[in-house]
Amino acid sequence: MIAGVARESRVVTALGRRALSVQFRRAQLLMPTFVLPLMLLAVIASGTSAGRDLRDFPEVSSYLGFVVAGTLLQGALLSGLTSGMALANDIEGGFFDRLLAAPVRRSSLVFGRLAGTLGLAVLQMAWFLLVALLFGASYPGGVLGALGAAALAVITAVGIGGLAIAIAIRTGSMSLMQSIFPFVFVLLFTAPAFFPRDLLTPTLRDLSAYNPLTYVVEGARGLLQGDASLGDPWIGLAAAVGLAAFATALAVLALRDRARRT
Amino acid sequence: MSGPASSSPPAVSVHGLERAFKGGIKAVDGLDLEVREGEVYGFLGPNGAGKTTTVRILVTLLKPTAGEARVAGFDVVSQADAVRRNIGVALQEAAIDPLMTGRELLRMQGALHGMKGAQARSRAEELLDRVGLTDAGGRRVGQYSGGMRRRLDLAMALVHRPKVLFLDEPTTGLDPTSRSALWREVRSLNDDGTTVFLTTQYLEEAEQLADRVGIIAGGSLVAEGTPAELKAHVGEPTLHVDLAPESDVAAARVALSAVGPLVDCQDDARVAIRAARGKATVPLAIRALDEAGIAVESVEVESPTLDDVFAAVTGSTLEGATQGASADQAEVPA
Repeated sequence: MIAGVARESRVVTALGRRALSVQFRRAQLLMPTFVLPLMLLAVIASGTSAGRDLRDFPEVSSYLGFVVAGTLLQGALLSGLTSGMALANDIEGGFFDRLLAAPVRRSSLVFGRLAGTLGLAVLQMAWFLLVALLFGASYPGGVLGALGAAALAVITAVGIGGLAIAIAIRTGSMSLMQSIFPFVFVLLFTAPAFFPRDLLTPTLRDLSAYNPLTYVVEGARGLLQGDASLGDPWIGLAAAVGLAAFATALAVLALRDRARRT
Repeated sequence: MSGPASSSPPAVSVHGLERAFKGGIKAVDGLDLEVREGEVYGFLGPNGAGKTTTVRILVTLLKPTAGEARVAGFDVVSQADAVRRNIGVALQEAAIDPLMTGRELLRMQGALHGMKGAQARSRAEELLDRVGLTDAGGRRVGQYSGGMRRRLDLAMALVHRPKVLFLDEPTTGLDPTSRSALWREVRSLNDDGTTVFLTTQYLEEAEQLADRVGIIAGGSLVAEGTPAELKAHVGEPTLHVDLAPESDVAAARVALSAVGPLVDCQDDARVAIRAARGKATVPLAIRALDEAGIAVESVEVESPTLDDVFAAVTGSTLEGATQGASADQAEVPA
């Protein structure tokens, strides 16, 4: 039993290491995961900072510090999606068959890919928080708050990765994975990523209540700002863990179903 | 080639195997075959014959829709994990991540087969050395030539010292030098006791490597045996005699008909007879022609090829076949 767990752990580690290292060797995947969210952050922070003067906008130390939670969420969405794209690429190129022909648990193939997503998200979140800090963001929640916010985003990245992996396994199509890229922004903007929920239009506000990412971004914001009134970290954690657990199960089931059908 | 161990249970046994796809198309249709432990089995057929589908079933990547298959003694459906532990697989097109280095891929493959870090690293170095890629081991696979990729693919299939090795068209697209290098490696592996299931559309490859050959067409096995048995089944060798200019062809035909039955020949300066004794027919024919006072320019004994076998059992020639690989030529002075 213990030997079996150790063996599968080695498999997951090896696959995770591979997923992460390949990510850094594929320039077209680095751009959306490390650069695009910061570009959007720069645009939003400079273009909509006047929103801070609106009535009902909460008291925060800096507008940049407020919207950086949205950047963490965007990073989580993009790192999760690129995991699905990388898997679809493996399926199309035949590399996934090599993995399927190995004597490993099918679930380890999913966990290995998600381990890579997790590693990528950790690096991403550290990068975003550091760059935002250098450009003037402040984190009144302190180091622990920043770590907590990053953890919420990392768990969310795993959840989005699980969903993307399930779609990739179902379709095996790189082009289809690329075509769902715009939906990332639908998810992002139907959550209060860059504005407080109270300032969203009524329709969007109602919609955001059903988006689990709403609770993640609010929780991360509460942690970064050290102000629980901006978002309950525990509800955020529950939403992130729930999403990750659901999506991981979905991905494992998709792989089992694929194995059953072929 | 190492001799097959006939008393051992078969390395691969397939009975009534079928695989239908959407629309009811059967890629594999009632296939029966057995591969003995320690032999190289050449699975020969044109594109679309069902070779790759069969291999994908045997390596557990596809499930059969009917029939059964066992590899290394394990059922490919109900004991898929045990099958995977005992096989090495190098599929068509060498599906290798071009962004990884050869060394990284081998270490990862080691981990997939349960090896610990040091063990996987040591095995990777051993295999890089074996396939001549030690110097290239740190380079990304995207920079490898086709032959290097194939050798790496083979090395990855060998990481866990499999009992049965599946090679799906391993030399397709390779230059002759790379092909010869891969053949040497396959022979060496077989000498070490590994059973090899080799699919190919190259006749020369089957002749060079396989102890036995199975010919698949339309999803079914249409002929099976050693290359020599299959060729003998098609017919005897033919002796072609090219006469010197101005020779009396009619007299030559009379003289040679005493040596063997005449065979129709399109060329007016050439006479052909059945040569049941192969090359041993040559001195008899030369003597008969000499006694008749007929000068000879050259003599050639042509044996049936696997392409002839393929044409005989399927009614068509094999796509991509190499012609005349087994023609035995003997030049004699005029």
